[in-house]
Amino acid sequence: MTDELVEEMYILTDDRARELLDMLGKEKALQVLEAMVTIRAFEEKAEELYSLGKTHGTMHLSIGQEATALGASSAVRSGYDYLLNHHRGHGHCLAWGGEAGKMMAEFMGKETGYCRGRGGSMHIADVARNNLGANGIVAGGIPMAAGVGLSIRMRGTDQVCLVIFGDGAANTGPFHESLNMASIWNLPVIFLCENNQFAMSMPVPRAFNIERISRRASAYGIPGVTVDGNDFLAVYEVVSTAAERARAGQGPTLVESLTYRWRGHSRSDRQVYRTRQEVKEWQARDPINRFADRLQKAGLLSAELQESIRASATQGIEDALAFAEASPEPDLATILEGVYAD
Amino acid sequence: MARTVIMPRFGMTQEEATIVRWIKKEGDRVENGDPICEVTTDKINMEVEAPADGVLAGVRFAEGETVAVTEAIAYILAEGERLPVGETSGEPPATPQPESLKTPSEAQPPDRAIKATPLARRMASAEQVDLAALQGSGRDGRVTRQDIERHLSGRGAPSPDSGKVRASPAARRLARQAGVELDGVAGSGAGGRVQGRDVQAVLAARSEQAAPFHLKTPSSEEEGVQAAAGETLQPVVIPLEGMRRTIARRMQASWQTIPHILFSLDIDMSQAIAMRAQFNLRYGGGKPAVSLSAVLVKACAAALRQHPVLNSYFHEEQILRLPAVNVGVAVALEDGLIVPVVRRADEKGLVAIGQEVADLSGRARQGSLQPQDVVDGTFTLSNLGMFGVDHFTAILNPPQVAILAVGRVAKRFAPDEAGLPVLRSMMTVTLSVDHRAVDGAEAARFLNTLRGILETAGVQWG
Amino acid sequence: MLIETQAQTQSPPVVRTLTYAEALREAMRQAMHSDPSVFLMGEDIGVYGGAFGVTAGLIDEFGPERVRDTPISEATIAGACAGAALTGMHPVGEIQFMDFVTLSMEQLVLQAAKVRFMFGGKASVPMVLRMPAGSGTGAAAQHSESLESLFVHIPGLKVVMPSSPYDAKGLLLSSIYDGNPVIFVEHKLLYKTSGPVPEEMYRVPLSQTNLVRQGGDLTLVATSIMVPRALEAAGVLSQEGIQVEILDPRTLSPLDDHPIIDSVIKTGRALIVHEAPQTGGFGGEVAARIAGSRAFDYLEAPVRRLAGLDIPIPYNRNLERHTVPQVEDIVAEARRLARGEY
Repeated sequence: MTDELVEEMYILTDDRARELLDMLGKEKALQVLEAMVTIRAFEEKAEELYSLGKTHGTMHLSIGQEATALGASSAVRSGYDYLLNHHRGHGHCLAWGGEAGKMMAEFMGKETGYCRGRGGSMHIADVARNNLGANGIVAGGIPMAAGVGLSIRMRGTDQVCLVIFGDGAANTGPFHESLNMASIWNLPVIFLCENNQFAMSMPVPRAFNIERISRRASAYGIPGVTVDGNDFLAVYEVVSTAAERARAGQGPTLVESLTYRWRGHSRSDRQVYRTRQEVKEWQARDPINRFADRLQKAGLLSAELQESIRASATQGIEDALAFAEASPEPDLATILEGVYAD
Repeated sequence: MARTVIMPRFGMTQEEATIVRWIKKEGDRVENGDPICEVTTDKINMEVEAPADGVLAGVRFAEGETVAVTEAIAYILAEGERLPVGETSGEPPATPQPESLKTPSEAQPPDRAIKATPLARRMASAEQVDLAALQGSGRDGRVTRQDIERHLSGRGAPSPDSGKVRASPAARRLARQAGVELDGVAGSGAGGRVQGRDVQAVLAARSEQAAPFHLKTPSSEEEGVQAAAGETLQPVVIPLEGMRRTIARRMQASWQTIPHILFSLDIDMSQAIAMRAQFNLRYGGGKPAVSLSAVLVKACAAALRQHPVLNSYFHEEQILRLPAVNVGVAVALEDGLIVPVVRRADEKGLVAIGQEVADLSGRARQGSLQPQDVVDGTFTLSNLGMFGVDHFTAILNPPQVAILAVGRVAKRFAPDEAGLPVLRSMMTVTLSVDHRAVDGAEAARFLNTLRGILETAGVQWG
Repeated sequence: MLIETQAQTQSPPVVRTLTYAEALREAMRQAMHSDPSVFLMGEDIGVYGGAFGVTAGLIDEFGPERVRDTPISEATIAGACAGAALTGMHPVGEIQFMDFVTLSMEQLVLQAAKVRFMFGGKASVPMVLRMPAGSGTGAAAQHSESLESLFVHIPGLKVVMPSSPYDAKGLLLSSIYDGNPVIFVEHKLLYKTSGPVPEEMYRVPLSQTNLVRQGGDLTLVATSIMVPRALEAAGVLSQEGIQVEILDPRTLSPLDDHPIIDSVIKTGRALIVHEAPQTGGFGGEVAARIAGSRAFDYLEAPVRRLAGLDIPIPYNRNLERHTVPQVEDIVAEARRLARGEY
């Protein structure tokens, strides 16, 4: 199996795609679609709120990257396995089974938010479900993921740790330290590099002298594979394989998921480093449409059903917003809480 | 250009005012004339008003801080304006004073390059002190009144900390608690710093002498007394603050620095009382239209016109003969006293004075006097007759050089022209004057003039 | 005046002496015996026994899984400790020299210290990072630093500096079970010092300043190696009739300042002694707390600091010695302060 993965661009054939859909089953497949649509709706609502001045701080949108979030989360047992992710993490949290209401509340700095309004968009964590949080520091979660992997090994469970980071993180020192450490200790960690083509404004070709970031895996003696990150089934397949390796005690895997950030780096990005044409080309590969097409071709999705999924997702986000808006602000008297465990 | 809000000046000798509270906060929108903060000067609370429309910004002093008059305390910004760069280092413009009360020395242009408080500048000018030779101990190195005084008192150009007693915080605490003046305590610490033990030594020496009073602690055997222990034997400490502090400071300074001389005289008030009754009948429909105080104000003002030496200030080694006769009337309050002023009393009729005295004393008791009501007095009248006092003496209210203490009007037997005892309405007045400015004979002449005026009082006073 | 040395008075009946290094080792051994979630990781801590031999022999007792040699990866040592701590373990990491913790700063300052607060108090990071600090070994500028004040400035971290074998064991056990990330600063020159250490698993509470010696003339606040030096200085000064009261904060953050303030109220004079450079050092914090407290009104002299020169540690033996306070420096400074020369 290792051989299949090394330095390859994983290609999902139509036959294999149909097999995977069969394995998933209709119900699960429709849930995935609804989750992707929900992520999109959540982020569009977040964008709107930001524009209206209802939230403050910054915000990083993952619109266009939904397939990676769903593919990876569906391949592991969210809530049992561990997740660490990055600043562009709304989609990961929702895909992991996070509640949009608590996320929206966090977004608005409310006491009912996942982090009681202390973390905000960039630090949403769902600790109760082993989502150890989005990280504001590029590569910040990678060393901790090694520690989580070590913890799993020492506690002797069959959990795995999925850590998602961006292309920019692959050029930091801790990336190197951590992949090496995970490799020598055979830790059950899936290093998922969500390559959305830009580290803020720095395009991947200018920041790397290799074509595939997954190639770096060979330096640590672990498998590395690149996958079409806008294809849910492809990501699902590759990450599932990595998770199986981890559970089987075969150690970590580096997965590079090729996708594209439709929006700017953050809300203040004027996007002078790329062309409209390029954005349009990637938008033509919309991960939601692609998955919906597959479902339609497999006879699992009608136009009416698709519309009702869309409506249901939209309503879910409206409910989340209503919950967040009705939620209380943190009490100033609690400002010192949470710095230290008692 | 941002408008500067300065600490206004309300009287000639007012050097500073303390900010009681900010009514407006930074960022508040204000309109020209809006009260923006409440300040307290000697004896009076008043409000500083916004000099322009805009937004309050750059508040430079906190509540409780004392600020020299004419110092900038804040700014009013119009739309889009910013605070002046380095605004704290600049010398705020001095407010011109009323022409009538300007001292001669002020005509000379002050040296603007040297930082000094307005008062210090005036003092330096009057005393021909070179400001450049002094090291300022005030904010941002400003030369202050104290620096000038220190210089004049022969201590010479001070080092940065001379004039301040060097004392450890512990010594300061002990001194504060025990009421010991640190000036007189010899310091045994580094560089002569007063240490806690030095203050304790002073206290020990004190207690060896006769203690001013002794708090008896009941012994445990004395039953019954014990119940009261801790309840009656502990003095209630009343910190010296506000008006009490002002009175204490001013009266102590006056009594300690001004050579008072005192003169008493009995005045037959029968004529004045008859006249007052006439006025009350005519203008008050039987109710009091003019108080005895008003009568006395009128009489004093007329006497001062004839004896301008007593209508002077003694200020900074100069005698300032004053162009207006402004008679202050001491009004007792619950927790102190205040002296509202009847301006140009010599030019007013008795009825007008009566109304003014009634208005001023009423507002004094309500606490609603305005700053202009209590400043620029040139002579003070203190009447305790209503309390049944026969005679008493008063301490001068500097820079005034005279004050009149008035006892009650009482029926006393006095010999008539034939030497027979006649019952008369008599009143004893006691005049205190500053001997630096007024000699005894002039004081006596003034009193005789006053007596003549009161004993011949008549309807022409109206 | 009656002089009483209190360092021992808090200990139970003393039966034996251990060195500071042995006391630390015993703390780790006992913790690992009683709790399988405790493990060690760091560079050369296994068969080598650690650069200063603190972990010597533990690998024989607990094996390479729980006494884990790491690659030279300080960022990931710190980060993996945090990740393991987040998921149920009680890691005790070792940074070989405190100087090298500069490479771990992001994981400590931005991750370990912040995770709990950032996640609304819903996660905890019960980890200890041990590290030897201090000069006196001729190791020059990059192996002699005392960087504790960097961490004192970071809310979310605790900073512990034991000065005796008794405290070393008791504080390390408290730190392991404190539930927070603890920067545990040891001193190289203290490793071989001996003192009474009970055998049982006793704990010395964190954030409890220790009254080491009573005296009425001067309050001396000392940390780490400056505590034994201050005790020696106090002996000299006692001959001159100057009685020094010595306090050892032991936990620099969160600092228990009440005993210090009470002592200064008693003596009226305060001297703070530490090895780290004076500017921006911990002594400034102590001085400010004294000056800002009710002790101000009891001061008879300026609060003084005696600390390292504001230079890197030089190599030359004589220069090195003169860079940090020695016994004679403490004697001289305390004497001047007590005699009213300031």
